[in-house]
Amino acid sequence: MSINVNNLTKTFHAAGGEVRALDDISFSVKTGEFVSIIGKSGSGKSTLLAQLGALDQPTKGEILVDGQDITKLSGRKQTTYRSKKIGFVFQQYNLIPNLSALENVMLGLEFGGAPASERKDRSFELLEMVGIDADQARRKPGKLSGGQQQRVSIARALGNDPAFLLADEPTGNLDSETGAAIFTLLHDLSRERQTTIIVVTHDLDIAGKTDRTYTLKDGKLLTK
Amino acid sequence: MNVISRGVRGALRSPIRAGAIVIMLAISIGLIIAMLAAKAGVEVRISEVKANAATGITVAPAGIRGFAGGGDPLSAEQVATIKGTEHVASVASTLTDQLGTDDTNLTPSLELGSFGQRQQRFESSSGSGAEMTPPAMTGSAATGDAMRQAPTPRTTVTGTTDPDSVATNGGELTLASGKAIDAGGAENVALIGKTLAEKNDLQPDDTFTMYGQTFTVNGIFSTDNAFQDSGVIVPLTTLQTLTEQAGAVTSATVTVDSSDNVAAVVSSLKDSLGDKADITSEQERAESSVSSLSSISGLATTGVIGATVAAAVIVLLMMTMIVRERRREIGVIKAIGGTNAKVITQFVTEALTLTVIGGIIGIGLGIAVSGSITEGLVQNQQNSAATNRQAGPGGMGGPALIRGAQQGIQNVTGTVSPAVIGGGIGLTLLIAIVGSAVPAWLIARVRPAEVLRSE
Repeated sequence: MSINVNNLTKTFHAAGGEVRALDDISFSVKTGEFVSIIGKSGSGKSTLLAQLGALDQPTKGEILVDGQDITKLSGRKQTTYRSKKIGFVFQQYNLIPNLSALENVMLGLEFGGAPASERKDRSFELLEMVGIDADQARRKPGKLSGGQQQRVSIARALGNDPAFLLADEPTGNLDSETGAAIFTLLHDLSRERQTTIIVVTHDLDIAGKTDRTYTLKDGKLLTK
Repeated sequence: MNVISRGVRGALRSPIRAGAIVIMLAISIGLIIAMLAAKAGVEVRISEVKANAATGITVAPAGIRGFAGGGDPLSAEQVATIKGTEHVASVASTLTDQLGTDDTNLTPSLELGSFGQRQQRFESSSGSGAEMTPPAMTGSAATGDAMRQAPTPRTTVTGTTDPDSVATNGGELTLASGKAIDAGGAENVALIGKTLAEKNDLQPDDTFTMYGQTFTVNGIFSTDNAFQDSGVIVPLTTLQTLTEQAGAVTSATVTVDSSDNVAAVVSSLKDSLGDKADITSEQERAESSVSSLSSISGLATTGVIGATVAAAVIVLLMMTMIVRERRREIGVIKAIGGTNAKVITQFVTEALTLTVIGGIIGIGLGIAVSGSITEGLVQNQQNSAATNRQAGPGGMGGPALIRGAQQGIQNVTGTVSPAVIGGGIGLTLLIAIVGSAVPAWLIARVRPAEVLRSE
């Protein structure tokens, strides 16, 4: 499943006038590729990720996912797109605090339409795959380390076998050792499961290990 | 785990905050239940007052009120005319007399007092026709003292076709002991007021003398009215015969078949009886009672509305605060595929959970305090009515209206019926739904991109 981004532009109205967060961006990602997007703070990385994940609407341009323009989908269909084809991994992990690790993973499965009877076993499998044991699975996020929370977040993102995994600074809140472990995990996933992964990061070391790296500066894509 | 169980767990995420909210809701919902119970009790009483008092008409001989005034009693023909009037369902006839010490061996139980002495100051001694000296004027300076008889307390005897008409509560006469009399007969049987019976040490089946005849005590009655409890009740015909007033009646209480026909019956009676009778409809009295009751009902309604609005505002503010606090979480749920409907359902479930817990406690609280709150509302209304009466002008109609109003608002009790509980539950759900509406709108407006905002 490929992504083709054509002439994508996103502008915001701010007090100082119009801000072009993304300025006529075009690029493509092939199935199973591990792509990184780097750039300074405010360069438009997260804005681009939001457009790719159908979290926000671009001002102009198109995002073709297997030939279908996701920017033209209705709100309901965009929700379905997010639940079935996209997996998100966030810098802040963004686990629901009053649900256990297991329940957080089950939540993603519920939204993806997995049968209720299968969710628990599937969640345990996913958590085991990312290195979370059964005891840790029953803990709430507050009782897990940052690295463990990010692993749970990855398990949640992978629950519905998404075509793409979008990761926003997945190692940004982790120490270098843990960050490296998370990166390895993502890398292995892209290889073993043929999952297309797009990572937004500041970390040039990580970016250097991906299949392709795009650089954003002031909303423009500099490197292909 | 589905969206409902997530909502329930989410509601209890912060026990201290949830507890505080539940307490506030419980108080509001308890107040709603208590007010609904008071309103239901008042509505029942209004129906009773309208059903009972609104169909009553009192016909008294013109110029006679109790033992005061002057004129002729109603005759048998006039009573027959009353009974024959269209829409008259029944007539309770009454003749009253007073027993002096020569008329009976009963010892009066009422003290004469200054009021009684003043009432007797014009009466003659030994039938001489000489005017008695008022008690205040007795003394050495007064002339003709030897000619004047000292005032003596008397016992009231009531001949009636319906002993219940003597009851002061508008219901049935309460017998403390013994059995009723056949008020339609002409036997020498009597019901004795409780105070009078105690004074004379009388029990059922005892006898006493009156008008030179021996009477059997059938029963002892109690009305909680000092005047009535010092009297004697006998069949109307018996008293008419013994006092040589065949067919005479000093008061007729008419019951009309429907409150809608009261005005027509009053009009017919005024036409047929002319100036020989004073006719008083009890509708005015009922309206006075209903007015007082309606005030309580209105107050209760205001309380229900106020408590409902307060509870809805509590839920609204609580949910608004929770949604604002958890914008990021809402964004996460939307970003990973949660629909607006699911997120809203989860948060409405949270509101509903707290409201239902508050509702259960509130209903229990409401049932517990409904009695005292109803009592407080009635007491407040009675005090208010009393203050208004003291400030207003007096008049002949005053005592009757006061009695009417008091009888109307007495015996009002909070009624916690299934309908009240149902109403409370309905309002509780309404509170949750209304209180969640704005937060739901806020949730729908949260963009999933919120999740990408940095802390």
